[in-house]
Amino acid sequence: MEIILTVNKQSRKVEVRPAETLLDLLRRLGYKSVKYGCGEGACGACTVIMDGRPVNSCLILAVTVDGREVTTVEDLGTIQKPHLLQSAFVESGAVQCGFCTPGMIMAAKALLDRNPSPSEDEIKEALDGNLCRCTGYVQIIEAVRLAARRMKAEKKKN
Amino acid sequence: MIPFNLVRAESLEEALDLLDRQPPDVKIIAGGTDLLVELRSLSPREKGPGIVLDITPIDELKGIEDNGSTITIGPLTTHREIAASPIIREHAPLLSTACSTIGATQHRNIATIGGNVINGSPAADSVPALIVLDAEAVFKSKNGERVSPLKEIFVKPYRTDIKEDEILTALRFERLPEGARSSFIKLGRRNALAISRMNIAVIIVLEGNTIVEARISPGSATPLPDRIKAAEKILIGNEPSEELFRRAGKEVSGEMINRSGIRWSTPYKQPVIAALTTRALREAVEKR
Ligand SMILES: Cc1cc2nc3c(=O)[nH]c(=O)nc-3n(C[C@H](O)[C@H](O)[C@H](O)COP(=O)(O)OP(=O)(O)OC[C@H]3O[C@@H](n4cnc5c(N)ncnc54)[C@H](O)[C@@H]3O)c2cc1C
Ligand code: FES
Ligand code: FES
Repeated sequence: MEIILTVNKQSRKVEVRPAETLLDLLRRLGYKSVKYGCGEGACGACTVIMDGRPVNSCLILAVTVDGREVTTVEDLGTIQKPHLLQSAFVESGAVQCGFCTPGMIMAAKALLDRNPSPSEDEIKEALDGNLCRCTGYVQIIEAVRLAARRMKAEKKKN
Repeated sequence: MIPFNLVRAESLEEALDLLDRQPPDVKIIAGGTDLLVELRSLSPREKGPGIVLDITPIDELKGIEDNGSTITIGPLTTHREIAASPIIREHAPLLSTACSTIGATQHRNIATIGGNVINGSPAADSVPALIVLDAEAVFKSKNGERVSPLKEIFVKPYRTDIKEDEILTALRFERLPEGARSSFIKLGRRNALAISRMNIAVIIVLEGNTIVEARISPGSATPLPDRIKAAEKILIGNEPSEELFRRAGKEVSGEMINRSGIRWSTPYKQPVIAALTTRALREAVEKR
Protein backbone atom coordinates (compact mmCIF):
# COMPACT_ATOMS: atom_id res chain seq x y z
CA MET A 1 0.00 0.00 0.00
CA GLU A 2 1.29 3.43 -0.86
CA ILE A 3 1.24 6.25 1.67
CA ILE A 4 2.54 9.78 1.81
CA LEU A 5 3.87 11.02 5.10
CA THR A 6 6.10 13.82 6.29
CA VAL A 7 9.18 12.80 8.24
CA ASN A 8 11.26 15.59 9.73
CA LYS A 9 9.62 18.17 7.45
CA GLN A 10 10.34 16.12 4.35
CA SER A 11 7.45 14.66 2.41
CA ARG A 12 7.94 11.02 1.45
CA LYS A 13 5.95 8.65 -0.69
CA VAL A 14 6.54 5.07 0.44
CA GLU A 15 5.23 1.57 -0.13
CA VAL A 16 4.30 -0.17 3.15
CA ARG A 17 3.14 -3.62 4.12
CA PRO A 18 -0.19 -3.84 6.00
CA ALA A 19 1.42 -5.38 9.09
CA GLU A 20 4.35 -2.96 9.15
CA THR A 21 4.53 -0.65 12.17
CA LEU A 22 5.63 2.97 12.04
CA LEU A 23 8.70 1.85 13.99
CA ASP A 24 9.60 -0.72 11.31
CA LEU A 25 9.03 1.85 8.58
CA LEU A 26 11.12 4.61 10.16
CA ARG A 27 14.05 2.28 10.76
CA ARG A 28 13.75 0.93 7.21
CA LEU A 29 13.89 4.51 5.92
CA GLY A 30 17.08 5.08 7.90
CA TYR A 31 15.81 6.90 10.98
CA LYS A 32 17.79 4.66 13.28
CA SER A 33 17.39 6.91 16.33
CA VAL A 34 13.99 5.27 16.75
CA LYS A 35 14.65 2.20 18.89
CA TYR A 36 12.94 -1.17 19.18
CA GLY A 37 12.86 -1.90 22.91
CA CYS A 38 9.86 -4.02 23.79
CA GLY A 39 7.59 -3.81 20.76
CA GLU A 40 4.55 -3.62 22.98
CA GLY A 41 4.20 -0.10 24.27
CA ALA A 42 5.94 -0.64 27.56
CA CYS A 43 9.33 1.08 27.27
CA GLY A 44 8.99 4.26 25.21
CA ALA A 45 12.27 3.71 23.31
CA CYS A 46 10.33 4.03 20.04
CA THR A 47 8.73 7.37 20.95
CA VAL A 48 8.33 9.84 18.08
CA ILE A 49 6.20 12.95 17.75
CA MET A 50 3.20 12.54 15.46
CA ASP A 51 1.17 15.64 14.63
CA GLY A 52 2.58 17.36 17.71
CA ARG A 53 2.03 14.55 20.21
CA PRO A 54 4.34 11.82 21.50
CA VAL A 55 3.36 8.28 20.48
CA ASN A 56 4.88 4.81 20.63
CA SER A 57 5.75 4.06 17.01
CA CYS A 58 5.72 0.31 17.77
CA LEU A 59 1.96 0.49 18.41
CA ILE A 60 1.01 2.28 15.21
CA LEU A 61 0.47 0.69 11.82
CA ALA A 62 2.47 2.53 9.18
CA VAL A 63 -0.53 2.57 6.82
CA THR A 64 -2.45 4.74 9.26
CA VAL A 65 0.22 7.43 9.20
CA ASP A 66 -0.83 8.39 5.67
CA GLY A 67 -1.04 12.19 5.51
CA ARG A 68 0.50 12.73 8.92
CA GLU A 69 3.63 14.41 10.15
CA VAL A 70 6.30 12.59 12.15
CA THR A 71 9.34 13.99 13.92
CA THR A 72 12.33 11.99 15.17
CA VAL A 73 15.50 12.98 17.00
CA GLU A 74 17.29 13.30 13.64
CA ASP A 75 15.36 16.54 13.18
CA LEU A 76 16.57 18.15 16.40
CA GLY A 77 20.28 18.67 16.16
CA THR A 78 23.63 17.37 15.00
CA ILE A 79 26.81 16.50 16.85
CA GLN A 80 28.26 19.87 15.85
CA LYS A 81 25.09 21.76 16.67
CA PRO A 82 23.05 19.85 19.21
CA HIS A 83 19.54 20.88 20.29
CA LEU A 84 19.39 22.36 23.81
CA LEU A 85 17.70 19.19 25.03
CA GLN A 86 20.51 17.09 23.62
CA SER A 87 23.29 19.14 25.20
CA ALA A 88 21.40 19.25 28.51
CA PHE A 89 21.13 15.43 28.48
CA VAL A 90 24.87 15.10 27.90
CA GLU A 91 25.85 17.67 30.51
CA SER A 92 23.51 16.30 33.17
CA GLY A 93 24.80 12.75 32.85
CA ALA A 94 21.38 11.67 31.61
CA VAL A 95 22.90 9.39 28.96
CA GLN A 96 24.70 6.16 29.74
CA CYS A 97 24.11 3.39 27.20
CA GLY A 98 21.92 5.78 25.25
CA PHE A 99 19.26 3.31 24.18
CA CYS A 100 16.41 5.13 25.89
CA THR A 101 17.71 8.59 25.03
CA PRO A 102 16.00 9.32 21.68
CA GLY A 103 12.63 8.31 23.11
CA MET A 104 13.22 10.32 26.27
CA ILE A 105 14.22 13.37 24.25
CA MET A 106 11.17 13.16 21.99
CA ALA A 107 8.84 12.77 24.98
CA ALA A 108 10.55 15.73 26.65
CA LYS A 109 10.40 17.80 23.45
CA ALA A 110 6.68 17.19 23.09
CA LEU A 111 6.26 18.37 26.68
CA LEU A 112 8.35 21.53 26.31
CA ASP A 113 6.67 22.45 23.01
CA ARG A 114 3.38 22.68 24.89
CA ASN A 115 4.58 23.66 28.33
CA PRO A 116 7.86 25.62 28.39
CA SER A 117 8.05 25.73 32.21
CA PRO A 118 6.93 22.33 33.48
CA SER A 119 6.93 21.44 37.16
CA GLU A 120 8.86 18.41 38.34
CA ASP A 121 5.60 16.45 38.51
CA GLU A 122 4.71 17.44 34.98
CA ILE A 123 8.12 16.26 33.76
CA LYS A 124 7.71 12.97 35.59
CA GLU A 125 4.28 12.49 34.11
CA ALA A 126 5.47 13.25 30.59
CA LEU A 127 8.31 10.72 30.91
CA ASP A 128 6.27 8.12 32.73
CA GLY A 129 6.08 5.92 29.64
CA ASN A 130 9.84 5.88 29.09
CA LEU A 131 12.05 3.37 30.85
CA CYS A 132 15.76 3.78 31.47
CA ARG A 133 17.80 0.87 32.77
CA CYS A 134 20.97 2.82 33.41
CA THR A 135 20.69 6.30 34.81
CA GLY A 136 18.02 6.16 37.49
CA TYR A 137 15.91 9.05 36.11
CA VAL A 138 17.15 11.79 38.46
CA GLN A 139 19.63 13.05 35.87
CA ILE A 140 17.04 12.79 33.12
CA ILE A 141 14.58 14.98 34.99
CA GLU A 142 17.38 17.41 35.78
CA ALA A 143 18.31 17.50 32.08
CA VAL A 144 14.77 18.41 31.06
CA ARG A 145 14.69 21.18 33.66
CA LEU A 146 18.03 22.52 32.46
CA ALA A 147 16.89 22.46 28.84
CA ALA A 148 13.65 24.22 29.76
CA ARG A 149 15.58 27.02 31.51
CA ARG A 150 17.95 27.45 28.59
CA MET A 151 15.19 27.37 25.99
CA LYS A 152 13.39 30.11 27.87
CA ALA A 153 16.54 32.22 28.18
CA GLU A 154 17.17 31.75 24.47
CA LYS A 155 13.66 32.87 23.61
CA LYS A 156 14.06 36.02 25.68
CA LYS A 157 17.22 36.91 23.78
CA ASN A 158 15.49 36.60 20.41
CA MET B 1 4.05 -9.62 13.31
CA ILE B 2 1.96 -12.16 11.44
CA PRO B 3 0.80 -10.91 8.05
CA PHE B 4 -2.74 -9.66 7.46
CA ASN B 5 -4.61 -7.53 4.98
CA LEU B 6 -5.65 -4.09 6.01
CA VAL B 7 -8.73 -2.16 4.99
CA ARG B 8 -9.18 1.48 5.94
CA ALA B 9 -12.87 2.32 6.14
CA GLU B 10 -13.66 5.89 5.15
CA SER B 11 -17.27 5.70 6.34
CA LEU B 12 -19.34 3.76 8.85
CA GLU B 13 -21.37 2.33 6.00
CA GLU B 14 -18.28 0.97 4.29
CA ALA B 15 -17.10 -0.62 7.55
CA LEU B 16 -20.50 -2.19 8.27
CA ASP B 17 -20.69 -3.51 4.69
CA LEU B 18 -17.37 -5.24 5.07
CA LEU B 19 -18.31 -6.75 8.44
CA ASP B 20 -21.56 -7.94 6.92
CA ARG B 21 -19.81 -9.71 4.05
CA GLN B 22 -17.05 -11.53 5.89
CA PRO B 23 -17.58 -11.50 9.60
CA PRO B 24 -15.39 -14.33 10.99
CA ASP B 25 -12.15 -13.17 9.45
CA VAL B 26 -12.24 -9.47 10.27
CA LYS B 27 -10.79 -7.72 13.31
CA ILE B 28 -11.46 -4.07 14.02
CA ILE B 29 -8.55 -1.81 14.95
CA ALA B 30 -8.92 1.58 16.64
CA GLY B 31 -5.90 2.87 18.58
CA GLY B 32 -4.29 -0.57 18.31
CA THR B 33 -2.69 -0.48 21.76
CA ASP B 34 -4.36 -3.73 22.74
CA LEU B 35 -4.80 -5.33 19.34
CA LEU B 36 -1.25 -4.87 18.04
CA VAL B 37 0.23 -6.27 21.24
CA GLU B 38 -2.09 -9.26 20.84
CA LEU B 39 -1.24 -9.78 17.15
CA ARG B 40 2.46 -9.50 17.83
CA SER B 41 2.23 -12.24 20.44
CA LEU B 42 0.87 -14.73 17.87
CA SER B 43 3.42 -17.14 16.44
CA PRO B 44 3.58 -17.43 12.65
CA ARG B 45 1.82 -20.77 12.87
CA GLU B 46 -1.19 -19.41 14.71
CA LYS B 47 -4.14 -18.07 12.78
CA GLY B 48 -4.61 -14.34 13.00
CA PRO B 49 -7.33 -12.24 11.43
CA GLY B 50 -7.34 -12.31 7.64
CA ILE B 51 -8.35 -8.67 7.53
CA VAL B 52 -7.72 -5.89 9.99
CA LEU B 53 -10.34 -3.20 9.59
CA ASP B 54 -9.07 0.27 10.47
CA ILE B 55 -11.99 2.43 11.56
CA THR B 56 -9.93 5.46 12.61
CA PRO B 57 -10.77 7.50 9.47
CA ILE B 58 -14.49 7.49 10.39
CA ASP B 59 -15.19 10.95 11.76
CA GLU B 60 -18.70 10.24 13.01
CA LEU B 61 -17.23 7.86 15.60
CA LYS B 62 -15.16 10.65 17.18
CA GLY B 63 -15.85 13.36 19.68
CA ILE B 64 -17.95 14.29 22.69
CA GLU B 65 -21.45 15.75 22.53
CA ASP B 66 -23.63 17.21 25.25
CA ASN B 67 -27.27 17.93 24.44
CA GLY B 68 -27.96 19.45 27.83
CA SER B 69 -28.86 16.22 29.58
CA THR B 70 -27.20 13.31 27.79
CA ILE B 71 -23.51 13.10 27.00
CA THR B 72 -22.48 10.98 24.03
CA ILE B 73 -18.90 9.88 23.45
CA GLY B 74 -17.76 8.47 20.12
CA PRO B 75 -15.79 5.23 20.58
CA LEU B 76 -12.77 6.62 18.73
CA THR B 77 -12.36 9.46 21.23
CA THR B 78 -8.92 9.13 22.83
CA HIS B 79 -8.24 9.02 26.54
CA ARG B 80 -6.37 12.29 26.23
CA GLU B 81 -9.37 13.99 24.64
CA ILE B 82 -11.71 12.69 27.35
CA ALA B 83 -9.34 13.65 30.17
CA ALA B 84 -9.08 17.19 28.78
CA SER B 85 -12.72 17.70 27.74
CA PRO B 86 -14.44 20.60 29.52
CA ILE B 87 -17.79 18.80 29.11
CA ILE B 88 -16.54 15.66 30.82
CA ARG B 89 -14.67 17.61 33.49
CA GLU B 90 -17.80 19.47 34.40
CA HIS B 91 -20.48 16.79 34.12
CA ALA B 92 -18.62 13.51 34.68
CA PRO B 93 -15.31 14.47 36.31
CA LEU B 94 -14.56 10.95 37.49
CA LEU B 95 -14.43 9.74 33.88
CA SER B 96 -11.93 12.46 33.07
CA THR B 97 -9.80 11.31 36.02
CA ALA B 98 -10.12 7.65 35.03
CA CYS B 99 -8.99 8.31 31.45
CA SER B 100 -6.09 10.46 32.66
CA THR B 101 -4.68 7.45 34.54
CA ILE B 102 -4.61 5.12 31.54
CA GLY B 103 -1.14 4.09 30.39
CA ALA B 104 1.38 6.82 29.65
CA THR B 105 1.04 10.01 27.58
CA GLN B 106 2.07 8.05 24.51
CA HIS B 107 -0.87 5.66 24.97
CA ARG B 108 -3.46 8.26 25.86
CA ASN B 109 -2.71 10.09 22.62
CA ILE B 110 -3.87 7.15 20.49
CA ALA B 111 -5.76 4.65 22.66
CA THR B 112 -9.53 4.99 22.50
CA ILE B 113 -12.34 4.55 24.98
CA GLY B 114 -14.13 2.17 22.60
CA GLY B 115 -11.08 -0.08 22.50
CA ASN B 116 -10.81 0.05 26.29
CA VAL B 117 -14.43 -1.09 26.64
CA ILE B 118 -14.51 -3.77 23.92
CA ASN B 119 -11.19 -5.28 24.93
CA GLY B 120 -13.07 -6.26 28.07
CA SER B 121 -10.16 -6.35 30.50
CA PRO B 122 -11.28 -6.46 34.16
CA ALA B 123 -8.58 -3.81 34.71
CA ALA B 124 -9.88 -1.37 32.07
CA ASP B 125 -9.85 1.95 33.89
CA SER B 126 -12.64 3.75 32.02
CA VAL B 127 -15.12 0.97 32.68
CA PRO B 128 -15.89 1.38 36.43
CA ALA B 129 -16.37 5.12 35.80
CA LEU B 130 -18.77 4.40 32.93
CA ILE B 131 -20.57 1.79 35.05
CA VAL B 132 -21.32 4.23 37.87
CA LEU B 133 -22.45 6.75 35.27
CA ASP B 134 -24.97 4.06 34.22
CA ALA B 135 -23.70 4.33 30.66
CA GLU B 136 -25.31 2.68 27.66
CA ALA B 137 -23.46 1.19 24.72
CA VAL B 138 -24.79 1.67 21.20
CA PHE B 139 -23.87 -0.90 18.54
CA LYS B 140 -24.60 -0.73 14.84
CA SER B 141 -24.64 -3.39 12.18
CA LYS B 142 -25.99 -3.58 8.66
CA ASN B 143 -29.25 -4.79 10.26
CA GLY B 144 -29.73 -1.80 12.52
CA GLU B 145 -28.96 -0.52 15.97
CA ARG B 146 -28.76 -2.21 19.37
CA VAL B 147 -28.62 -0.34 22.66
CA SER B 148 -27.55 -2.08 25.84
CA PRO B 149 -26.74 -1.01 29.38
CA LEU B 150 -22.94 -1.09 29.38
CA LYS B 151 -22.91 -3.41 32.37
CA GLU B 152 -24.67 -6.11 30.40
CA ILE B 153 -22.24 -6.36 27.51
CA PHE B 154 -19.52 -8.04 29.60
CA VAL B 155 -19.72 -11.82 29.27
CA LYS B 156 -16.45 -12.87 30.86
CA PRO B 157 -13.00 -11.33 31.26
CA TYR B 158 -11.78 -10.15 27.82
CA ARG B 159 -15.12 -10.98 26.24
CA THR B 160 -18.10 -8.77 25.47
CA ASP B 161 -21.33 -9.71 23.71
CA ILE B 162 -20.49 -7.67 20.59
CA LYS B 163 -21.55 -9.55 17.47
CA GLU B 164 -19.16 -10.21 14.62
CA ASP B 165 -20.97 -7.79 12.33
CA GLU B 166 -21.30 -4.99 14.90
CA ILE B 167 -19.35 -1.84 15.63
CA LEU B 168 -19.58 0.03 18.92
CA THR B 169 -20.76 3.45 17.73
CA ALA B 170 -21.39 5.37 20.95
CA LEU B 171 -21.21 5.39 24.72
CA ARG B 172 -23.74 7.63 26.43
CA PHE B 173 -24.89 8.59 29.88
CA GLU B 174 -26.79 11.29 31.71
CA ARG B 175 -24.94 14.30 33.12
CA LEU B 176 -24.37 13.94 36.84
CA PRO B 177 -27.23 15.65 38.71
CA GLU B 178 -26.74 18.85 40.73
CA GLY B 179 -25.27 18.06 44.10
CA ALA B 180 -23.59 14.89 42.89
CA ARG B 181 -20.00 14.31 43.90
CA SER B 182 -17.75 11.71 42.40
CA SER B 183 -14.30 10.25 42.67
CA PHE B 184 -12.07 7.76 40.86
CA ILE B 185 -8.96 6.35 42.48
CA LYS B 186 -6.53 3.94 40.88
CA LEU B 187 -3.88 1.92 42.52
CA GLY B 188 -0.99 0.89 40.32
CA ARG B 189 2.33 -0.73 40.92
CA ARG B 190 3.88 2.19 39.11
CA ASN B 191 2.03 5.26 38.08
CA ALA B 192 1.53 4.97 34.37
CA LEU B 193 2.61 1.79 32.73
CA ALA B 194 1.31 -0.75 35.18
CA ILE B 195 -2.16 -1.66 34.09
CA SER B 196 -4.17 -0.96 37.18
CA ARG B 197 -4.81 -3.90 39.38
CA MET B 198 -7.47 -2.16 41.34
CA ASN B 199 -9.47 0.99 41.05
CA ILE B 200 -12.72 2.35 42.34
CA ALA B 201 -15.34 4.71 40.98
CA VAL B 202 -17.95 6.29 43.24
CA ILE B 203 -20.76 8.79 42.90
CA ILE B 204 -22.83 10.08 45.76
CA VAL B 205 -25.68 12.57 45.71
CA LEU B 206 -26.34 14.63 48.82
CA GLU B 207 -29.50 16.44 49.81
CA GLY B 208 -28.60 18.69 52.67
CA ASN B 209 -26.30 16.42 54.59
CA THR B 210 -28.05 13.17 53.71
CA ILE B 211 -26.86 10.74 51.08
CA VAL B 212 -29.82 10.13 48.80
CA GLU B 213 -28.08 8.20 46.05
CA ALA B 214 -24.87 6.17 45.88
CA ARG B 215 -23.15 4.27 43.11
CA ILE B 216 -19.98 2.25 43.63
CA SER B 217 -18.04 0.15 41.14
CA PRO B 218 -14.63 -1.40 41.78
CA GLY B 219 -12.29 -2.41 38.93
CA SER B 220 -10.06 -5.52 38.84
CA ALA B 221 -11.98 -6.80 41.87
CA THR B 222 -14.89 -8.74 40.43
CA PRO B 223 -14.91 -11.02 37.37
CA LEU B 224 -17.38 -8.73 35.63
CA PRO B 225 -17.78 -4.96 36.04
CA ASP B 226 -20.76 -4.11 38.20
CA ARG B 227 -22.14 -1.78 40.84
CA ILE B 228 -22.01 -3.06 44.41
CA LYS B 229 -25.59 -2.44 45.46
CA ALA B 230 -25.15 -3.86 48.98
CA ALA B 231 -22.50 -1.23 49.73
CA GLU B 232 -24.57 1.52 48.13
CA LYS B 233 -27.52 0.62 50.40
CA ILE B 234 -25.39 1.12 53.49
CA LEU B 235 -24.83 4.73 52.47
CA ILE B 236 -28.31 5.76 51.40
CA GLY B 237 -30.34 7.69 53.98
CA ASN B 238 -27.30 8.37 56.14
CA GLU B 239 -25.03 11.31 56.79
CA PRO B 240 -21.46 11.01 55.51
CA SER B 241 -19.05 9.85 58.19
CA GLU B 242 -15.76 8.00 58.36
CA GLU B 243 -17.50 5.14 60.16
CA LEU B 244 -20.14 4.84 57.44
CA PHE B 245 -17.53 4.91 54.67
CA ARG B 246 -15.56 2.19 56.41
CA ARG B 247 -18.63 -0.02 56.56
CA ALA B 248 -19.27 0.54 52.86
CA GLY B 249 -15.63 -0.33 52.14
CA LYS B 250 -15.93 -3.56 54.09
CA GLU B 251 -19.05 -4.45 52.17
CA VAL B 252 -17.25 -3.95 48.83
CA SER B 253 -14.40 -6.23 49.87
CA GLY B 254 -16.89 -8.82 51.16
CA GLU B 255 -18.76 -8.71 47.86
CA MET B 256 -15.47 -9.10 45.98
CA ILE B 257 -14.85 -12.36 47.81
CA ASN B 258 -18.43 -13.53 47.24
CA ARG B 259 -18.03 -13.04 43.52
CA SER B 260 -14.39 -13.94 42.90
CA GLY B 261 -13.79 -16.52 45.63
CA ILE B 262 -10.62 -16.71 47.67
CA ARG B 263 -7.52 -16.50 45.49
CA TRP B 264 -3.80 -16.14 46.05
CA SER B 265 -4.22 -12.38 45.81
CA THR B 266 -7.15 -12.12 48.24
CA PRO B 267 -5.17 -11.39 51.43
CA TYR B 268 -3.72 -8.37 49.65
CA LYS B 269 -6.74 -7.26 47.69
CA GLN B 270 -9.32 -7.49 50.46
CA PRO B 271 -8.02 -4.73 52.77
CA VAL B 272 -6.85 -2.66 49.81
CA ILE B 273 -10.19 -2.48 48.02
CA ALA B 274 -11.91 -1.68 51.33
CA ALA B 275 -9.47 1.16 52.01
CA LEU B 276 -9.71 2.45 48.42
CA THR B 277 -13.50 2.57 48.66
CA THR B 278 -13.38 4.45 51.96
CA ARG B 279 -10.83 6.88 50.56
CA ALA B 280 -12.84 7.50 47.37
CA LEU B 281 -16.02 8.21 49.34
CA ARG B 282 -14.15 10.60 51.62
CA GLU B 283 -12.58 12.31 48.63
CA ALA B 284 -15.95 12.64 46.90
CA VAL B 285 -17.53 14.34 49.90
CA GLU B 286 -14.59 16.67 50.42
CA LYS B 287 -14.64 17.85 46.82
CA ARG B 288 -16.68 20.96 46.00
C1 LIG C 1 1.91 -0.38 27.94
C2 LIG C 1 0.42 -0.35 28.04
C3 LIG C 1 -0.18 0.21 29.17
C4 LIG C 1 -1.57 0.23 29.30
N1 LIG C 1 -2.12 0.78 30.42
C5 LIG C 1 -3.47 0.75 30.59
C6 LIG C 1 -4.06 1.29 31.76
O1 LIG C 1 -3.39 1.84 32.64
N2 LIG C 1 -5.42 1.21 31.90
C7 LIG C 1 -6.20 0.65 30.94
O2 LIG C 1 -7.43 0.59 31.12
N3 LIG C 1 -5.68 0.13 29.81
C8 LIG C 1 -4.33 0.17 29.61
N4 LIG C 1 -3.78 -0.37 28.46
C9 LIG C 1 -4.64 -1.05 27.49
C10 LIG C 1 -5.09 -0.21 26.27
O3 LIG C 1 -4.22 0.86 26.03
C11 LIG C 1 -6.51 0.32 26.45
O4 LIG C 1 -7.39 -0.75 26.67
C12 LIG C 1 -6.98 1.13 25.22
O5 LIG C 1 -8.03 1.98 25.59
C13 LIG C 1 -7.41 0.29 24.05
O6 LIG C 1 -7.89 1.15 23.05
P1 LIG C 1 -7.35 1.05 21.53
O7 LIG C 1 -8.06 2.10 20.77
O8 LIG C 1 -5.89 1.05 21.49
O9 LIG C 1 -7.93 -0.39 21.18
P2 LIG C 1 -7.57 -1.47 20.00
O10 LIG C 1 -6.32 -2.17 20.37
O11 LIG C 1 -7.61 -0.78 18.69
O12 LIG C 1 -8.83 -2.38 20.15
C14 LIG C 1 -9.06 -3.18 21.31
C15 LIG C 1 -10.21 -4.15 21.02
O13 LIG C 1 -11.43 -3.48 20.83
C16 LIG C 1 -11.98 -3.72 19.56
N5 LIG C 1 -12.56 -2.43 19.13
C17 LIG C 1 -11.97 -1.21 19.21
N6 LIG C 1 -12.84 -0.24 18.85
C18 LIG C 1 -14.01 -0.86 18.53
C19 LIG C 1 -15.29 -0.38 18.08
N7 LIG C 1 -15.56 0.93 17.93
N8 LIG C 1 -16.26 -1.30 17.83
C20 LIG C 1 -16.01 -2.63 18.00
N9 LIG C 1 -14.82 -3.13 18.43
C21 LIG C 1 -13.83 -2.26 18.69
C22 LIG C 1 -10.84 -4.24 18.72
O14 LIG C 1 -11.30 -5.13 17.71
C23 LIG C 1 -10.01 -4.96 19.75
O15 LIG C 1 -10.51 -6.24 19.98
C24 LIG C 1 -2.39 -0.35 28.29
C25 LIG C 1 -1.78 -0.88 27.13
C26 LIG C 1 -0.40 -0.89 26.99
C27 LIG C 1 0.22 -1.46 25.76
S1 FES D 1 9.46 -0.43 21.57
FE1 FES D 1 7.70 0.79 21.54
S2 FES D 1 7.32 1.13 23.61
FE2 FES D 1 8.95 -0.30 23.69
S1 FES E 1 20.81 5.30 29.31
FE1 FES E 1 20.72 3.16 29.12
S2 FES E 1 18.59 2.80 29.10
FE2 FES E 1 18.70 4.86 29.60
